[in-house]
Amino acid sequence: MSLDLQSPTTQSSDVKYLPGADLEEADLSGKDLQGVNLTGARLMGADLKHTKLTGASLEGANLLGCQLVKADLRATLMGANLMQADLTEADLRGANLRGANLMRSRLTKATLAGSFLSGANLMGCNLQGADLRGADLRGANLSSANLHGANLMQADLQGAIVSEANLEEANLAGANLAGANLAGANLLCADLENANLSGSNLAGACLTGTDLEIKRSKDE
Amino acid sequence: MLEGSILYQLKSAHQSGQGTQRSLNFGVYYKNTLVALCHALEDCILTCSSEPLVITAFQRGKWYLEEADRYADLAQRSRQVVIMAAPDSGFGEHPTSQRPNVELVSLNADDPVAQEWHLMILAPTYSAMVLCQELSEADYGKQGVPTVDLERKFYGFWTFEANLVQETIELAIAHLRTYNPALADTLTNHIQAIVSTPIEQRDPLEAIVPRVVDYLQESHISSTANHYTVEQPQILDSNLLSNEVQAFLRMAQLTDQADALNPNAAAEVATLVEAMGQFLDLPVWQLNRLKLASLLHRLAPLQSSISPLTSSSFGRYPEEQSTDAPCSPLVPGAQVLRTMPQLRAIATIITHLNEQWDGSGKPGNLVGDEIPLESRMLGLVAAFQQQVADQSAKSEGTLSMPECLAIALAQCHKEQSQRWDPKLVDTLTLLVSGLQQGLSLPVSLPKISAGLWLLDSHDEALISHS
Repeated sequence: MSLDLQSPTTQSSDVKYLPGADLEEADLSGKDLQGVNLTGARLMGADLKHTKLTGASLEGANLLGCQLVKADLRATLMGANLMQADLTEADLRGANLRGANLMRSRLTKATLAGSFLSGANLMGCNLQGADLRGADLRGANLSSANLHGANLMQADLQGAIVSEANLEEANLAGANLAGANLAGANLLCADLENANLSGSNLAGACLTGTDLEIKRSKDE
Repeated sequence: MLEGSILYQLKSAHQSGQGTQRSLNFGVYYKNTLVALCHALEDCILTCSSEPLVITAFQRGKWYLEEADRYADLAQRSRQVVIMAAPDSGFGEHPTSQRPNVELVSLNADDPVAQEWHLMILAPTYSAMVLCQELSEADYGKQGVPTVDLERKFYGFWTFEANLVQETIELAIAHLRTYNPALADTLTNHIQAIVSTPIEQRDPLEAIVPRVVDYLQESHISSTANHYTVEQPQILDSNLLSNEVQAFLRMAQLTDQADALNPNAAAEVATLVEAMGQFLDLPVWQLNRLKLASLLHRLAPLQSSISPLTSSSFGRYPEEQSTDAPCSPLVPGAQVLRTMPQLRAIATIITHLNEQWDGSGKPGNLVGDEIPLESRMLGLVAAFQQQVADQSAKSEGTLSMPECLAIALAQCHKEQSQRWDPKLVDTLTLLVSGLQQGLSLPVSLPKISAGLWLLDSHDEALISHS
């Protein structure tokens, strides 16, 4: 099965159903695998750079350490293991990543606008310059993640764990941070205009250069 | 932010939800970025067509002394220069300090302004400002205070906006009054003279911004050469690159602000064109490129080209080492973007905004799919957005937004297949239909410091024609 997929001529029209397939370290870079069913597949260390996986099902798949640079992942990845994967500039618009494990993955400049990341594990992720506009991050764990310059406009981070995260110059305008844990986070020059911070924990957070810093100093 | 500092006072006056003042978004700057930025903005004084008032804050006198020779030249071209700093030995003795139009103000050690780095330049034809404060030890957090001087971090903002510069200078004058009331009176008179000077034309930013980009690029080269002394070279380089993009975004921002009837054009066009790109299922790199082109498109308003060329050379970038003659038509606003190699694709998109589907447009008389897709999309959306704004202004509130959208769309339909790509007009029709039925597209002014992330890093060298 993996040989078929790795053949230079194989495209999504040839293979549609591969649940549980063993594709460990397979070279699938640049393939058109739209709509392929890879539920529960083993793709550890696979090369999926520039691969088109629009509409694919990767629910519960193991993508540990995968190369997914600039891949089109507008797919179902619920509960998938993407730990330490390289998703630089990947397209994850509207992707279903609920409960996925993205711990220490690289998502620099990735597009996650409108994606579903509730309950996902994003601990220690590199999300520098990522587009997370309107993303559902309720209850997600973003502790120690690097979100420098990320766009989180209108994102829903209710109850999320964002402690010790780097949010320097991030855009959090209109974001919902109600009940979020931002203890020790770096919010230097972050845009917090119209952000909902009710019930959030900001103990030890750096708020320098934000509107909130001025507001707090005036309230004291 | 230190209470009582000029940065704090300005930020307080611009807090969101307070009056009509626009909220100020601050960014982070490394020392080497600030040095390059200030040198560029200062050197523009040497070619400025009117004499500016210059007010600076140097933290310590020793930093001023490093620049004192340069400041002698700047003072020669200025009506007044004020240097604020905590005094160090030799502070007042330098020949520049003795010049009749240079005033030194020795700041008290506990004055918060002694922790700030300011450059305010206000002339009838030129204005620029850098307003920053250094991070406190606590702000540096776990990493601690950097050991390398170039890695010292500041936060604040810079701008070319004359009204903001004037507002800040007035705050600085109020602060200076506690040290030297007579100087404060003199400076107030200078401000009044500057704002009442009749001017025909401001010094063009098309000349100033390339200088800023040049100086930042120069700093990048020299920091690359000295990487062995710097712990985080990629962070310093990113900061320089970010400010090169910011220079263009700030220039575009001024174009928008100068248009009282359509002040949010760039942001609205960016939102609409992105939505249209989503309808067409364009890849993310192309959406980002379109978004940045939208934010910058008003640098090249509808205008004719200087040298229309044949269509054969369009759409492909010249190789770095190419010896061929330049093949791009010269549209001044787009040309200025080519100062930055990373913006060549954006410059090409903007160059071809005025092409027409039937080949009767400028500058290249390109026909149909020969016109880059991004130029076709952006041209259509920009014209549509302008129509909507015009209708809204003309009707003085008597027309509803859906009615304005319908009139603007009808105009685009009239020009379908002549000026505009018919397929794209159909896509725009779908989008407008969605808007009329309640589709919400949140428009927000861009966070200028975030422009860096819109630079594409894809490998494709071609502009899309499909």
